Amino acid sequence: MSVDRRNNRRDTEGCSVVTANRLLDGRIVWLDAQGKWQLTIAHACLFPNDGMEDVLRSQSARAGADNVVGVYGVQVEQTAHGPCPRTTRERIRADGPSVHAEFTPLWQPAPAVVSGS
Amino acid sequence: MPLLENGQIVQDGWTLVQDDQPLPEGDILLPLSRLSEGLGRNGKGRLGIVLKPDERVSDLKEALPRLDLVSLNFPIFRDGRAFTQARSLREHLHFAGAVRVTGHFLPDQYEFLLRCGVSQLVIPEQSDLAVWHQAHERITVAYQPSVLNERPEGFAFRRFLSS
Amino acid sequence: MPHSSQPPADVGRYAYDAVDRTFLKQRVEQFRDQVQRRISGALSEDEFKPLRLMNGLYLQLHAYMLRVAIPYGIVSANQMRTLAHIARRYDRGYGHFTTRQNIQFNWIRLEDTPDILNILADAEMHAIQTSGNCIRNVTSDQFAGAARDEVLDPRVHAEILRQWSTLHPEFTFLPRKFKIAISGSAQDRVAARFHDIGLLARMGENGRAVFEVYVGGGLGRTPVVGVKLRDDLPEEDLIAYLEAVLRIYNAYGRRDNIYKARIKILVQALGLGAFRDEVNAEFMAMDRSRYRLQPEVVAAIRARFASPVFEDASAASAQLVAQTKADPAFAAWVNINTHPHQQDGYCSVTISCKPAGGIPGDVTSAQMDLLADMADQYSFGELRITHLQNVVLGHVRKDNLFALWQALSAKGLGTANVGMITDIIACPGLDYCALANARSIPIAQKLSQRFSNAALQQEIGALRLNISGCINACGHHHAGHIGILGVDKRGEEAFQITLGGNSGEDASIGQIIGSAMSEDETVDAIARIVDTYLVQRKPGERFIETCRRLGAAPFKDAAYATA
Repeated sequence: MSVDRRNNRRDTEGCSVVTANRLLDGRIVWLDAQGKWQLTIAHACLFPNDGMEDVLRSQSARAGADNVVGVYGVQVEQTAHGPCPRTTRERIRADGPSVHAEFTPLWQPAPAVVSGS
Repeated sequence: MPLLENGQIVQDGWTLVQDDQPLPEGDILLPLSRLSEGLGRNGKGRLGIVLKPDERVSDLKEALPRLDLVSLNFPIFRDGRAFTQARSLREHLHFAGAVRVTGHFLPDQYEFLLRCGVSQLVIPEQSDLAVWHQAHERITVAYQPSVLNERPEGFAFRRFLSS
Repeated sequence: MPHSSQPPADVGRYAYDAVDRTFLKQRVEQFRDQVQRRISGALSEDEFKPLRLMNGLYLQLHAYMLRVAIPYGIVSANQMRTLAHIARRYDRGYGHFTTRQNIQFNWIRLEDTPDILNILADAEMHAIQTSGNCIRNVTSDQFAGAARDEVLDPRVHAEILRQWSTLHPEFTFLPRKFKIAISGSAQDRVAARFHDIGLLARMGENGRAVFEVYVGGGLGRTPVVGVKLRDDLPEEDLIAYLEAVLRIYNAYGRRDNIYKARIKILVQALGLGAFRDEVNAEFMAMDRSRYRLQPEVVAAIRARFASPVFEDASAASAQLVAQTKADPAFAAWVNINTHPHQQDGYCSVTISCKPAGGIPGDVTSAQMDLLADMADQYSFGELRITHLQNVVLGHVRKDNLFALWQALSAKGLGTANVGMITDIIACPGLDYCALANARSIPIAQKLSQRFSNAALQQEIGALRLNISGCINACGHHHAGHIGILGVDKRGEEAFQITLGGNSGEDASIGQIIGSAMSEDETVDAIARIVDTYLVQRKPGERFIETCRRLGAAPFKDAAYATA
């Protein structure tokens, strides 16, 4: 599927990670070094930007099999805490909405809510 | 490709004639640009016209009584101009011949097509007819009149869609 | 199929019968099947997307977002409880009221959506056509059926339009979305001139409605004030005429560029005269008898709306006066958040969903439950969502206001700021939205805190502040007296300020005053703009009037002045 061009903006130098949304629940995921999709960017595998076209092509081709949609690349800086996206948009995707600190990428409903009606 | 009409796959006896081909015998489908040529044809066979999405239905007004088929096209399923063309053919111009659609459309649009007056659909090879039948039978109520003049259902503009 | 003849149950909204309920259930099963076909791979994402959008399901920044339709803004207390339940069970305990009177849930799972739609259907609700290139939810006046200045109740006609547009076979794959608003008052509270079609209803000579029809208004990338297409459209031709407008749009609206695909661009390209000629030619050519809106049809729809049965409340006003004298905070809330009612002793109450530092339009499940209880207790079980992202109780006895205010205040819903600078419209912005360039909510929160002082707000008076996180303008920034537009500066957020917008009868489009600034600079600049108004205004002059009198220059100087 087509993705907004600005999300795919990359320098010639530098590194990127690969992201998508899961088909069934829409959650944001990041591609790890084993080719598995993870909920946190800390697990994401870094790819040199000059190889990203190929990575995105092959990951998009298997998006259906992986049950993900909207595969694209995100340029990052490597930090002590793991990869950090260049843009505010992607930092919000990686961390959760800035206006609800409790909604981290690993957020799960409280057990009482799940069992209740 | 399979031709769906009245819920069945039927034989397509029409020959689509390209811009520069000579006119063959039999039932032929011509582009709008060759309308007068088609009308002037000697010999047997029925005449149909292919209307592009940006061509006006009103251009067929004079010729319509002599046409047996108008073929409309979906360049992509999101481009809904053929719905308006079909309905204008039926409602304004009272066209009683076949209205055909070709191109990219989905089973989920089948009921809309029928209610706009489309009678023939060229669907992809290997199509599962059950999906099309289901799309037609799924919803039994409509909230507006259509060229099919369905039976009113209760009050207002509601219609009962028989399958 | 059996026809139900049970009497309508809910005040202010159309009561479904068995046929309507069957339809909704069939629609849910259709979507359940489409989801299955998507998961199995029979439908590609590109093919599935328009189908899910026509059921209100977007894929947003973090997850799927479900937009539930609230036709003409009316929701019953029990429906509100259903929304609270969905937020609690399937989302994260809250929802967001939108500028088109709908509600959005931000954390929905695709696989849960058929079940959610089924729960909504049981409550006579749906998400049909809350997105996609089709006729969207028809919006109306939040004081419909109550306002003293109302000529007729527009909700009956809004319901007729809702039904007519539902799964319309011809108009479900338009060049772009299509928004209709309808008002029954000469005072335009629906932003009729900022809609694809705006209808202002008034009573005609024979006791039947006539409509002023505005076309081609809208915000977004190309903000345009709508122009008058018809002055006196008879009620019986309402559907036929809209069919004609939509047909011209569907046939000739641009499809090569989504930014030029709205009807406003077609109206501009053809010119109003030529567009009107096309519509009239279509209108004359069509079989109008098929679409004629007969009086008995209108009556049949109207009969399914229950009306409130008012009590004698002649003593209520006196009691209210005594209560307001005893409590100045309550008096301020009554003064700011109530609206005159047709019935003596009653008023309409706007419940602000904009507490100081809060997220505009967000309400928790607990707040939704409270709103439902308040509606049951004080307003015939009826609530209205406003396009300004607040909630209205339409018919409240004046001697119940104090108890209502106390209950609301205990749950953070008692803010007295309707129509004031902290009654901010804001879209979800970059915190949630896949299209946004900048966050709308944090800057709204900062501004709301900055101006939270009640005395300061009263001093400033009527001021509409609208914030959009991108050029698509869901936060209606062009229609704000002050507007804020979020932009992207090489991956960082920045904000432009617009001045002079307004959405009423004298609709105008706010103009950008200068280059974009950071979030904090923008908050400070707006404070200086407001200070300039306080210094420059003439007695009794509202912000927008001072703005129009002086032009942008003094405000621009203030905004970009660095101390």
